[in-house]
Amino acid sequence: MVLKIRLARFGRTNAPFYNIVVAHARTARNSRPLEVLGTYDPIPKRDTYDDSGAPLHKDIKLDVARAQYWIGVGAQPSETARRLLSMVGIMEPKFPPKAPKAKTAEGK
Amino acid sequence: FSTTAPLELTKPQRYFRKWLKTRALQYRDPKEDGQPNYLLHPGLERLPDPHPNTDHPFPNNREFKSQPVLSEEARETIWNSVMIEGLPLKAVSARFSVDMRRVAAVVRMKEIEKRWEKSVSSHVDIGTPTAKTYAKAVMAMLPKANLADTEEPFEPINDIHISSHTQQQLFVPTPESRHFTRRDAAKAFGDHILPVDEKLRIPELLGFEEDIAAGVNPVEARGKFIKKAAMNEKKLAERTGMERRLKEDKITRVSNERFEFRIENINVDWSGAHGRGRGGIGWRYGAPHNDRRAGVVKIPTKV
Repeated sequence: MVLKIRLARFGRTNAPFYNIVVAHARTARNSRPLEVLGTYDPIPKRDTYDDSGAPLHKDIKLDVARAQYWIGVGAQPSETARRLLSMVGIMEPKFPPKAPKAKTAEGK
Repeated sequence: FSTTAPLELTKPQRYFRKWLKTRALQYRDPKEDGQPNYLLHPGLERLPDPHPNTDHPFPNNREFKSQPVLSEEARETIWNSVMIEGLPLKAVSARFSVDMRRVAAVVRMKEIEKRWEKSVSSHVDIGTPTAKTYAKAVMAMLPKANLADTEEPFEPINDIHISSHTQQQLFVPTPESRHFTRRDAAKAFGDHILPVDEKLRIPELLGFEEDIAAGVNPVEARGKFIKKAAMNEKKLAERTGMERRLKEDKITRVSNERFEFRIENINVDWSGAHGRGRGGIGWRYGAPHNDRRAGVVKIPTKV
């Protein structure tokens, strides 16, 4: 587990902005990584002139193919990175959505 | 030692008492005809004009001349032409001599207004409250244009930017037999100068004028112009739709209970071999912040 896919925090105080990076595990959080795969803005935004869809959204940019390659050669994602990668289908989510409970009344 | 009582009134108080006995007598009782009895400055004889001349909203400032504003009826007419009759924007702009950007703005604002009127506000049973009284009061102070055929044109619609390269005097010797067009003139000023035909906001009007000059029936020429404008508008809509679709193809949308995550597919090669390319995505490593740099624009420049 030498390589990690993780978030490097930039932005400003109380306004974080993350770079999704591939880096050696024991380097500093914000040091120059092997590769920047994308960005993650955790602050939800509104669509200024569009009320129709979801009220709040989060913008993520990711090179999916490249991220898939790094996972393939054994880079370990951090918890949030894993969550983001599972949204595009590269990995299984760590906490999968629960299946609905089966009805027990019918069985009797 | 004096037995005279000291004067207890101050100077303003003395003047006020004097005024009460002289000029104030005209304000003691209301006027017989029921008209308002305004307190007037000693020099003034007349009351402020209840129907002021809208050309000069500030009578003491004769230099301030307000430009005419589209009246409510004019706006409704424009909206009707675009949304109900379905005329292309360029045709509406040419018909009423209103700039295309203004036509678009009128249509947008009118749509919002009609949506507000139709909507049901959460607090009251009527639609979203509108400031119609305020609008009426403001419009009463401004000169209005009704876009009637008898009025003069509202504003120039086909003005173009004049490049400084075209303001020089050129003597280009040409043979008499040569048909020297606007395109040739542009090329004479410089290789990068666009001809007027390509700079016009409504270039279809050129074809319309050429038809009229050639002797085509004006109604037919107008029909041709509208058809051409509609076709170009459709092409523009298709191009915009294609661009939007290409952009949307790159985005994956995943929703959870609270937010919608929009994951845009990018390419790490955009940052180039050295990683410092302009198209590269991500916060830069080692690059200084421009937050405290003087002379840098730090606010949005367009909406």
